[in-house]
Amino acid sequence: MAVVRVTGRDGVERRLDATNGCALMEALRDANTGIDGTCGGMMSCGTCHVYVDADWLAKLPPKSEDEQMMLDAIGELVELEPGSRLSCQIQVSEALEGLSIRIAPPV
Amino acid sequence: MGAIDLKQLLESQTLERCPFPIPVGWFFIDYADTLKPGEMRNVFVFDQEWVLFRTESGKPGMADPYCPHLGAHMGHGGKVCGEHLRCPFHHWEYDTAGWCRHIPYAKLMPPQTKKGPILRTLPMVEKYGMLWAWYHPQCEPPSFELPYIPEMEDPTGYAGTRRGTWTAHTCIQEIAENGVDTAHLKFLHGAPAIPPVEATYEGPIMKLDIGRGYIVGTAYGPGLNVMRFTQQGVTATMISYSVPITREKTQMNMSFRHVDYPEGSKELAISKKLIDHMIGAAEGEESAGFESVDFIVWNHKKYRPNPLLCDGDGPVLQFRKWFKQFYPGFEPAAQG
Repeated sequence: MAVVRVTGRDGVERRLDATNGCALMEALRDANTGIDGTCGGMMSCGTCHVYVDADWLAKLPPKSEDEQMMLDAIGELVELEPGSRLSCQIQVSEALEGLSIRIAPPV
Repeated sequence: MGAIDLKQLLESQTLERCPFPIPVGWFFIDYADTLKPGEMRNVFVFDQEWVLFRTESGKPGMADPYCPHLGAHMGHGGKVCGEHLRCPFHHWEYDTAGWCRHIPYAKLMPPQTKKGPILRTLPMVEKYGMLWAWYHPQCEPPSFELPYIPEMEDPTGYAGTRRGTWTAHTCIQEIAENGVDTAHLKFLHGAPAIPPVEATYEGPIMKLDIGRGYIVGTAYGPGLNVMRFTQQGVTATMISYSVPITREKTQMNMSFRHVDYPEGSKELAISKKLIDHMIGAAEGEESAGFESVDFIVWNHKKYRPNPLLCDGDGPVLQFRKWFKQFYPGFEPAAQG
């Protein structure tokens, strides 16, 4: 279990318990944060976009080529930031304790 | 009583009729005039169903039926829209190369759709007035081309509308093996003698000369065979194009062509007799064509991977070695 700090689209920050081994996307989706995660982790829908705080960026595994392609596509509709990630590609573990993210606008 | 060789005596219990996958190659699907622009239908070949369609501009396509989105069968309720095949379920559209070209409600095309085809389709060409599809189990592109066949392609000089379709309950390899099994020509077909055979192999092409020029044939992979029969200086041509329906069932198709000799000429009569003899019985010939004698063997035999051959048999094993190239990635089950 890791406690993650999530800033919603309304600007309000909340703390969320995320289960180890799950994709962060699932925790965000199930907590009604506005993340849809429609494709379930196939990197084909772009509905789990989050902005990861700069402090945390280097601590996450790097983006795959497929994730970057989806982010590039999202960028046609929504502003990207250096911390833009697909939350379906972030696996929850103890190491994420205190991770801070913002939910990006919907595509 | 002699020694009991159990392996020999019991081997047939474990033999299969057709222990092979669908081979690689160009295969006949249908005659070109049976598919109009905008038409679509389901066909069963290569051990599965496919959606055969022709785009509005006339390009033929052949696709796996099941939409990569949510699995609808596009051959039931789908349609051709311009250059695309459209799934009935959510109107996703695919081109003849299997690329997803349109999703009517998505704001973002999934990146996978930009990387490559997401629907399995078969490369197709239209040649000899027929639709041909390239089958490869690992979806690799064509590694050879279909040849120029003057008898089928030249606008003048050749004639003959005779063609036929037969179903054999075996695989193409077993049917084609008869081409090198010259001894069966005497005993099954009733030829006066076992004709000499010369076989040469180069890549996907096999050339056969049976009876010192009587039958000269070229196979272009497993799906096309052009055989020219010559008698008294007159040559007639059998174009054979078989397609695997399942691993144990083959649709054999043939067209018969000859030089466009004048009506009533001796040459025309010889041409027609040659063609009669390719198929079945012919006037003045003792031996029988394939139609009357081969099926009873093909339809019931089992494949012996370790045949007991004798002197006088044809080059069966060299043929099998050549044919293996059409089963990439396939390792036969250990025998015995």
